Amino acid sequence: MRAAQLAWLVFMVSAFPLPALAQRQYIEISGANFRPLPLAVTFPLTTDEGGQSAALDFDDAFAFDLAAAGLFQVLDRRSFLADKKEGLTSGTIQFARWTDIGADFLVKTQLSTGGSELHCDLRLFSVAAGREELKVTRAVAATERRKLAHLLADELYRHFTGEAGPFSTHLVYARTTPKGKDIWFSDWDGKNAVSVIRGGLNLLPALSPNGIVAYTSYTKRDRPELFANRPGAEPVSIIKTGTLVSGVAFSRDGKRIAWAQASGEGAQLWVADSNGSSARQLTHSVGVLNTSPSWSPDGKRLAFVSTRGGTPQIYLLSSDGSGSPTRLTFQGNYNTTPAWSPRGDLIAFTARDERNAFDLFTVHVETRKISRLTQDQGNNEEPSFSPNGRLVVFSSTRNGRSQLFVMTADGNNQVPLKMEQGDYTTPDWGN
Amino acid sequence: MVLDPDPMHPAVLQSQFIRRPAAIAPFLWLSIAGHALLMTLIVAHGYLARGPTLDLEQKPIRATLVRKGKPRDERLLPRKEELPPPPRESIQNQAATASPPVFDRAVAVPLAATKPSEKKSSRQEGAKDAARRRELMGMWDKASKATKLDELQGQEDGDPLGDSAHQEGERYWGILTAQVRRHYELPKTLSDQERLQLKANVILWIGKAGELVRAELSKSSGNALFDNAVVLATKHASPFSPPPEHLRESLQRVGVELGFSP
Repeated sequence: MRAAQLAWLVFMVSAFPLPALAQRQYIEISGANFRPLPLAVTFPLTTDEGGQSAALDFDDAFAFDLAAAGLFQVLDRRSFLADKKEGLTSGTIQFARWTDIGADFLVKTQLSTGGSELHCDLRLFSVAAGREELKVTRAVAATERRKLAHLLADELYRHFTGEAGPFSTHLVYARTTPKGKDIWFSDWDGKNAVSVIRGGLNLLPALSPNGIVAYTSYTKRDRPELFANRPGAEPVSIIKTGTLVSGVAFSRDGKRIAWAQASGEGAQLWVADSNGSSARQLTHSVGVLNTSPSWSPDGKRLAFVSTRGGTPQIYLLSSDGSGSPTRLTFQGNYNTTPAWSPRGDLIAFTARDERNAFDLFTVHVETRKISRLTQDQGNNEEPSFSPNGRLVVFSSTRNGRSQLFVMTADGNNQVPLKMEQGDYTTPDWGN
Repeated sequence: MVLDPDPMHPAVLQSQFIRRPAAIAPFLWLSIAGHALLMTLIVAHGYLARGPTLDLEQKPIRATLVRKGKPRDERLLPRKEELPPPPRESIQNQAATASPPVFDRAVAVPLAATKPSEKKSSRQEGAKDAARRRELMGMWDKASKATKLDELQGQEDGDPLGDSAHQEGERYWGILTAQVRRHYELPKTLSDQERLQLKANVILWIGKAGELVRAELSKSSGNALFDNAVVLATKHASPFSPPPEHLRESLQRVGVELGFSP
């Protein structure tokens, strides 16, 4: 009896298996098009008079930061459909109005003053989800309106990319005067400029991570020397040789400097501590120009220009002088002013083409792949990377006089800096 | 004399040697019948609504859209090197030597007589090879000089936006991939690290006319921006081309899964 029952069960299970599962086709898709993130940024809300008086400056700096970053497409405010009385909280926002104009995210800010401080409350909303994604509050001295804008733009940048933003960093550059060249120090957008040294001929400034500016100056002696000082402080001579010294560059930690020093009919590379002590010669090629050193992020190598192959080309050399230089560029016959990206992968440089136009290129340190960054827009020279390696500042004559521009490291979104009229050259980007 | 045991006697009640009718048997049979009915219903449903069998060896499709163009000359397609056919004379010789005559004693092999014919055949062969080379080089030259779009090699029924000259994968999947990729846009804010690691899957159910019935994120990347972008890409890409007859039911009922990476 039991055997019969068991046999019946076995028969049932084996005779009628489970219905076959259905198959779903699987396809892999990659190769996306990368586009700037559409961002709607409203004019700052204010709660008091102090906030109102700061709003214009704050908005100018904040909007420029986001537009020049290359990551965002800041939507034109004239296209906004939302009620101007919309508040700062998600409950007061009609997200459909922001969806209609193509915004992926909405940024709202509110300025207020408390005592001697200026406060800003920033809210970031995902338009599709209709929810608040980020809430940040920062306060600075009431006069530092643009600094507050840069701080909040950095917060936004960090939220989206997970990396430090470049908006609270600074530039140094030379400004041509009727009598020579002065060295200036400014915010990354060219605003809040202060002079480092004025009068005479001052060239090729470099900005250390701790805010010290080094440069070549003809003012103090007959012969040019390397000086260093903070903006507003007295210049201090750090390298005194009696021969031409130029092209100083700080290592990423700010502890060492490299420069080029005339020697007979050539020039040799030297390195020293940042105060000029423990100087040591790196190259010893007689009659050859070795100039424009730029440190690798780890401080172990230098990129520089050398004429040892007959024409100026970019070479790499160990910063302790060991080994022989390796040539990095083989295209063109005039490649100069290398700038090593803080990310380590790229070296930007100026190249002169067959039409005698100067343009910017990058060369990948490992693959040696060369990419063009500028073309057919005047002469573009002297690149320098932002401290996060995402942007490049350079000088360009596309509008007549030499101006400073920024662009992304792949050459997109080239934007002029908002500076007073003048001739600006040799920018260097530091913290 | 046989005594009937008293059924109520404790010894009888507890005895292991007396067969008693099992009270559970009807329930057992009822249960088996119920299960059988259930199984039959499941099997019937399975057969009525059956899809293709599960292929555990299935690999992801890398569909490539075949471009429109003039079909490539078959003589220029990659092929296995094959030895040229032997000359007719040598075939005849082989045929002749297939049944050699039997001699009582050794006979000198007429080497001198065969030499001229060998020379002739190799010369002819060389001339043929040279002609073939010239012909191929001519075609190669023409192909390498072709720059206009209408001279692209592809398939006559290919897609103008196709990127391959050869049939690869199934044509419909290639069209679908191209349609989605055209709308596959990601924000530049994604970091380099994220660009290497992000992966998300979306299942699409497509109607008979190519309309998007439903799009569902089946595997999230963990990054809301990326997830939104891939779902949007599928929605913006619709309506798709109407699926071919043999895929219609499957696309409508089971769907197709798209695996996205930047």
